Amino acid sequence: MENSIIQVQGVSKIFGGLTAVNNVDLEVSKGSIYSIIGPNGAGKTTLFNCISGFYIPEHGTVLFQGEALNGRSTDAICSLGLSRTYQNIRLFSNLTAIENVMVGQHPRLRENWMDAVLNTKRCRQEEKISVAEGYKWLEFVGLSEFANAISGSLPYGAQRRLEIARALSSNPVLLLLDEPTAGMNPQETLEMTALIRSLRDQFNITIILIEHDMHVVMGISDQIAVLDFGNKIAEGKPAEIQKNERVIEAYLGPGGAALANKYRRKKAS
Amino acid sequence: MKNSIRQSIRTGVTFGIVHIFFILIAFNSMISVLIAKLSGIKNPGEIPAPKFYIAFTLLMGLWIGIAALNKKHSLSVGKKLLLSFTTSLTTGLMAGVLDVLLAIILVNKVFIRDFLTVLSFDFIKATLFGMTPVMGTIVTVLCFVAAGVAGGALTILNRTEAVQKFWKNIISWFKKQIEKIQYLSRGKYHLFWQIGGISLLALVAILLPMQWGSYWNYVFGTVGLYVILGLGLNIIVGLSGQLVLGYIAFFAIGAYTMALLNAPEPHNLMWGFWPALLLGVLLSALSGLLLGLPIMRLRGDYLAIVTLGFGEIIRILLKSDVLTNFTGGPRGIQNIKGPMFFGIPFNSEVDFVYLIFAGVILAGFVYNRLKQSRTGRAWLSIREDETVARATGVDTIKYKLLALAIGAAFAGLAGGIYASRNQFTGPDEHALMASINVLSLIIVGGMGNIPGTILGAFTLKGLPEILREFANFRLLAFGALLVFMMLSRPDGLIPSSRPKYDPPTEPAPEIDKKEATHGK
Amino acid sequence: MNDPAPLPLVPKGDNNLNTDTAVMKKQKKGSKLLKLLRPALGVVVLLYILFRLYQVLIVQHEYGADTWTRLLISGLIIGGVYALIAIGYTLVYGILFMINFAHGEVMMFGAYAALYSFWGFKLINIPGKETNFLNAYPVIAIILAFLIGMTVSATLGYFLEKIAYRPLRKAPRLVPLISAIGASIFLQNAAQLLFSPQLRDVTNPDILRRGVGWTIVINGNDVILPYTGVFTFILSIILLITLFILVQKSKLGRAMRAVALDKKTAALMGVDVDNTISRTFIISGALAGAAGVMWGIHNGLVYYYVGFIPGIKAFTAAVLGGIGNIPGAMVGGLLLGIVESMGPAALGINFQLKDVLSFVILIIVLTFRPSGLLGEVLSEEKV
Repeated sequence: MENSIIQVQGVSKIFGGLTAVNNVDLEVSKGSIYSIIGPNGAGKTTLFNCISGFYIPEHGTVLFQGEALNGRSTDAICSLGLSRTYQNIRLFSNLTAIENVMVGQHPRLRENWMDAVLNTKRCRQEEKISVAEGYKWLEFVGLSEFANAISGSLPYGAQRRLEIARALSSNPVLLLLDEPTAGMNPQETLEMTALIRSLRDQFNITIILIEHDMHVVMGISDQIAVLDFGNKIAEGKPAEIQKNERVIEAYLGPGGAALANKYRRKKAS
Repeated sequence: MKNSIRQSIRTGVTFGIVHIFFILIAFNSMISVLIAKLSGIKNPGEIPAPKFYIAFTLLMGLWIGIAALNKKHSLSVGKKLLLSFTTSLTTGLMAGVLDVLLAIILVNKVFIRDFLTVLSFDFIKATLFGMTPVMGTIVTVLCFVAAGVAGGALTILNRTEAVQKFWKNIISWFKKQIEKIQYLSRGKYHLFWQIGGISLLALVAILLPMQWGSYWNYVFGTVGLYVILGLGLNIIVGLSGQLVLGYIAFFAIGAYTMALLNAPEPHNLMWGFWPALLLGVLLSALSGLLLGLPIMRLRGDYLAIVTLGFGEIIRILLKSDVLTNFTGGPRGIQNIKGPMFFGIPFNSEVDFVYLIFAGVILAGFVYNRLKQSRTGRAWLSIREDETVARATGVDTIKYKLLALAIGAAFAGLAGGIYASRNQFTGPDEHALMASINVLSLIIVGGMGNIPGTILGAFTLKGLPEILREFANFRLLAFGALLVFMMLSRPDGLIPSSRPKYDPPTEPAPEIDKKEATHGK
Repeated sequence: MNDPAPLPLVPKGDNNLNTDTAVMKKQKKGSKLLKLLRPALGVVVLLYILFRLYQVLIVQHEYGADTWTRLLISGLIIGGVYALIAIGYTLVYGILFMINFAHGEVMMFGAYAALYSFWGFKLINIPGKETNFLNAYPVIAIILAFLIGMTVSATLGYFLEKIAYRPLRKAPRLVPLISAIGASIFLQNAAQLLFSPQLRDVTNPDILRRGVGWTIVINGNDVILPYTGVFTFILSIILLITLFILVQKSKLGRAMRAVALDKKTAALMGVDVDNTISRTFIISGALAGAAGVMWGIHNGLVYYYVGFIPGIKAFTAAVLGGIGNIPGAMVGGLLLGIVESMGPAALGINFQLKDVLSFVILIIVLTFRPSGLLGEVLSEEKV
């Protein structure tokens, strides 16, 4: 793929006796929405952690815009333009919403402690920028009225959106979203789906998504990869994945493909 | 109702244990002495007249009666008084049993002072109010009960509508006055009032030290130094979340730098106050960095013990004979020369208070600027969730080291001034207790904000000085106060609040594209 | 919304674009050097230690085998005491993730209990026999002293948890720590006010007099294996093993381990969390009390802050072994005792610096193994 933004090559992650991710290859093209699905425990978040630098894979490499990510610290990776959200929301709960987003801008800014003490021009400018950008991203996710609220006290859906705003404020080119619609009702899910799509449409951010909600996945993904027990068992467009027997069996168990076919035929008739 | 009675008895037993404890540490004597002094007797001696002991018992009873009605029961007045009665009777009976035991000891002349040091025969006699054992016991129980019921009655009275309204009026009066002041400082002539207010404060700050004598200058100076220490530790613990227990080591480095460069022994370098102060600050900052290097990978509580160890290492090294030639050994360093200001000696006690004030203002200013900056937010993110902060682009190692260095620098500043003021410093001044004191004051005062640190410094350092009456019991009260504060107000006396940011009214400046890389 | 211009990527050689000041450059370099620093430092430290050992043991040969034996003996004895106290810290930390700063004071009250027990027994005169209770029935006296000491300390531990820690279970980490510090200060001063600041001598029963013991001849010199020391050490080991069996095999032990791993799930499985925690404090208090009694018997001096320094040392030992890890506490305690005792001599440094040595060892161990010797190797944090 020429305009691939990230290439995962042969990545394996082994914990003691357990191989959580086994020799997985992925390639995501720039500006696309790529979903990773699979039953619980398939190794999706572990793969995310390998890509974003939280884990160091035992085998394989990750190439992000041509640069190898292996062994880099997570802050270096963030500086390269890769941001992520987390399966269990991890905000800076005692800080306000806008402060969370302002921290997200950290790698873009240059003000250091001496600037702060001496109140230099750079300090004054960057503070203004921080606040402005903070409000901009909060508005984008629809949270600007909660800007000064303590983020830990926000409702669940708002916290998820805030986490995304924080990830966006470093102006990433690649965004990893870990189960962004988890725990949401249908209305919130629709809004989140629209948000994700607009990220790609408006800002040209490439998105890799871990999701369980098949409506979301099938609705917005350009490409889907399916993991099961650490192996990639299928990859392709949504329509292909839906019909893939191995995928169905991964979710429904052995014999599941036949079952699915039976019901599909029944529906057709 | 039965439940309430049972609860009352339990409360009574608790208070009974407290009362017995008070007797065994001669707290009743101390309170009696206090009451005696308050009533005008100049020299009551260690064991004043029995009537003051009765007063103590009555006060205890009163307290118990009030505490018995802690929960807002919806019971009738009579039943409430019954609760107070029950509680104070329980305590009274326990006190009575104690009195009987004490009487037995007295009568049989058992020399129990080896066991429990306060129980001299005079003391026991006084605790029994100078009466015969039987009378003393009965009077004790009666006092408890009477005062208990009175306390209950007082509480009931306090909760009546009329009294509650009275308190509400007073509180709203105070609130109105504060609003008036706030209005003035923000209203039409706000600049005038602000300048006026600051000038007044400055005038007080300048004139007061000249008026109120050495003792208060010393106390306020010490409080000021502790404020500087508190702010420095706040950067390390409060902002960046690193639990450092050996903080006083940096203070020691600042103090010893000042001492070694300005005392005739052991080196007779006499570099002068200001260069030594600056060097002390730099050396402290450097040692903060050095301490940071091995601890970067450590989790919170491992961090605590390693930093505690570091503090102890510094103290032991300073105290040992090994380095005596360099550091002056266990005796410390004396005759440290004071500061000069453009050739004029600046070392009177009043000058030092000014110096410390200046230090506090400097520290406060730097702290405030840092807290509300990109650096401060980076620190806070590290405190909240270090792993995620790192993934959000914050170089956590750099910022943790920075916090340590700057926090240590504050301590170095305080140490240098301290050594110069006291004209002496020695290894025993830089012990673990001092680190604990600073940590306690920022947590009790309210971690992370300046008014909290100031209040904490006053409470934990100033108050004990003011309450010298309580001599022996100061530390006991200190310990109890710490526990009590954590149980009731864990956020501190002045909890920190997050800053508020208003939406921008004008378009923000563009990030300078040249610099618009992902900086660190 | 306007399309914000995508920021340019950081080109290779990005360091050139950062016009940092000299100070920041130093810090940046520090960050980068850190990775190389650790192994280099390790090699340096190891070489230095070997060099000093070589100097002292082979070149100068200052101390004979008899001195080393003496040092080893005292090291093991104090190590056993440290281990007992360290287990208390580790039990509490494992279950509540808090440092029980007041643990040293719990030990101190145990020591006072021993002091007063023996003192009281001495006062009881047995009709018909020449001597007093203490020396007439020394074994019973000693057993009673231990029971009293352990009960006092266990009770103290129980109330400490109930009053100062239980209400703070959900608070951020610093709050119970300050509460513990406050409790520690309170207990120390309460002891001082109750029992006077005087240093007190513990009167042992005659069969267990301090300073005497079996004599071994090594290198032509007499080395004493003190009765009190042997007694202390053996009892420590017995208690440690008993505790280990308790934690591994008994129902309470299982409950403790369950609560330590996951409080909520343990509660869901029917474990009474509050009760288990209380009992943990009771056990840890009892062990500290035993340590206090042993201290009184072997060291002889009891005073109101006798628990403070052993408390810190024991906590260091627990961290050294890996906090939360029971065998770790035992190993850490014994190791610390030996290092303290033999270390200064072995490395040819002044005995005054033995505490410095202990802390330096701690720092070195934690630098290379941040979770302690036997501690769980903290794998990468799961997100």
